[in-house]
Amino acid sequence: MMRSITTAQAMNEALAEEMRRDPAVYVVGLGLYPSAGESATSGLVDEFGELRVRSAPMSETAIAGSAVGAALVGMRPVAELHLADFAFNALDEILSKSGKWRYTHGGNDGMKLPIVFLEGIGGYVAGASEHSQSPLALYWHFPGLKIAVPATPYDAKGLLKTAVRDDNPVMFFTHKLGAPGPVPDDEYVVPFGEAVVRRPGADVTVVATSYMVVLSMEAAANLADQGVDVEVIDPRTLEPLDIETIVASVVKTGRLVVVDEDTERCGVGAEIGAQVMERAFTALRAPVGRVANPNLPVPYSPPLEQAVLPSITSIETAILATLTN
Amino acid sequence: MTLTAVEKQALYIAMVRSRAFEEAAGALAASGDIPASWLSGIGQEGTLGAIVQLRADDYLTITHRGAYGFIGRGSDPRRLLAELLGKKAGYCKGKGGRHIADLEHGILGKSGTVGGHAPLAIGVGTAIQNWGGDQVVLSLFGEGTSNRGTTHASMNTAAVWQLPVVWVCENNGYVGNVPASVYTATPDIADMAASYGMPGEVVDGNDALAVHDAARRAIVRARSGSGPSLLELKTYRIRPFAESATDVRDPAEAVAWRDRDPVAGLRDRLLESGELTLADAEAVTAAAREEMAAAAAYARESPFPDPAAAFEDLYA
Ligand SMILES: Cc1ncc(C[n+]2csc(CCOP(=O)(O)OP(=O)(O)O)c2C)c(N)n1
Repeated sequence: MMRSITTAQAMNEALAEEMRRDPAVYVVGLGLYPSAGESATSGLVDEFGELRVRSAPMSETAIAGSAVGAALVGMRPVAELHLADFAFNALDEILSKSGKWRYTHGGNDGMKLPIVFLEGIGGYVAGASEHSQSPLALYWHFPGLKIAVPATPYDAKGLLKTAVRDDNPVMFFTHKLGAPGPVPDDEYVVPFGEAVVRRPGADVTVVATSYMVVLSMEAAANLADQGVDVEVIDPRTLEPLDIETIVASVVKTGRLVVVDEDTERCGVGAEIGAQVMERAFTALRAPVGRVANPNLPVPYSPPLEQAVLPSITSIETAILATLTN
Repeated sequence: MTLTAVEKQALYIAMVRSRAFEEAAGALAASGDIPASWLSGIGQEGTLGAIVQLRADDYLTITHRGAYGFIGRGSDPRRLLAELLGKKAGYCKGKGGRHIADLEHGILGKSGTVGGHAPLAIGVGTAIQNWGGDQVVLSLFGEGTSNRGTTHASMNTAAVWQLPVVWVCENNGYVGNVPASVYTATPDIADMAASYGMPGEVVDGNDALAVHDAARRAIVRARSGSGPSLLELKTYRIRPFAESATDVRDPAEAVAWRDRDPVAGLRDRLLESGELTLADAEAVTAAAREEMAAAAAYARESPFPDPAAAFEDLYA
């Protein structure tokens, strides 16, 4: 049986299931209860109590850093950092204490850091520069983290269960926008490193994650009316990245556009573009296109925000540009 | 509760071994065998009064300075020195250098940022509390490190969650060559405890027995579920900030503090009380020097890692 539920509900189910399965799993974050509105953690305290649903002081450092310490002694923390914008306060804990800790210490005595960091991302909500960021590339730049970026409630649930079971730190990004979607009643997991082809096509490959998948699908539908056949690939995890699926698609289409909500410089598009060039240079029939924020803070006013963030129109334009080249 | 003669002797032996380790590490830094520098803890071994009474299943977070945390917990000096020399046999297979973990002895690793350990300590406290255990985590930091927000956020969190954490500030009076008063608004770090609703106590850090006594109270409190405490050990770093650094502090200070050397201080008290004989004291020192010389030789002779090992250990 399938039901239609939101990403928050899907994540809530994933957390409850994993917490029932393994007593080492717990959640820590600011304001987890009483919960205001629907969230990934709402209601969990009723079933699991205040020790396993820890309402933390307003310190991202304490939330993320305590998750690292607990993970080092056998717990499996899920650290709810709310917005990626706030998580910058805990970058030392996330990038160095979790991402690099195992390597630095040579994997000492089978050291493991099974931590999930939950971060909300994304604009289109008039959040201005510090409530709209999507810093995927920042985390991707650093060694030792895994990065999950679900675009649907189905993937949010399945990837979150995989993240909780992984013995390494996982950055788990969910967008502020997102429609309800079908999620099966029965338990399932979505493995890391397996892209999904959201829409098959022959002319141009578009790679997008999270809310950019939604915009790219709209752009692809519009272009289909004009006779352009777009293939949309959602990698679902950036680390590990299913580059094989992307390369196979580019070998077929000869054209690639990467859509990313983050700032363009040193971004997801640059990385995926470079990897494709290294592996399939001769297949490319046009320069790789990038649709991203043109290296600006996200502005507040809706017309300004629309000018900066990727849009259906800007994605269509980038796709058409690869065809005229 | 007073210590038995055997317990005092064990504390003394740990201090002597720690001092001998520091001397060996200092020599290996001076000879260039250690490719980086060494941040000596000579003069601060009184902290061992707190460390030696931890149980085998307790936890410790260390600082950038000294080796007494490792020596006090029972780490292998050969593997410690091998790590400092970047050798394969080191605790981190040569990947960490001064950043050493010894999980077997409850030492979770070393942060490159000072103040990086405090948030980890509250995570360990969280785990202990969730499992219903009665272990404690002892978390060391310098008075300079008390300036960091990580320290304060962690002390507050430990207090509101009533975690079994014993915060131990080693106040050696300086951050590099800069007197502590230039950076820290209060002369007594222990005063910060009041802000977090926990007991705070200033202790003579060079009196290992006084440290032991104060730490015992804090550990008992943490073990019984009554929450964290903060101890401030007033002490002095005898060596420069790092073996490679220039010391511009007034040399008269070091002379005065050498008279209050924590290792010699405990020895003299035990000799006076008859809990140690001079012959025993000399034998302890000779054995420690021999042990650390052998560890240094082991580290020097032991092979470097294969470069291919650089590509291992990132993910579990
Ligand atoms: C976050 C951070 N800032 C700066 C440094 C460089 N640093 C290393 S040790 C140290 C001094 C720390 O002083 P204190 O905590 O008093 O310890 P002490 O060296 O006196 O033992 C500094 C500034 C660092 N490692 N991490």
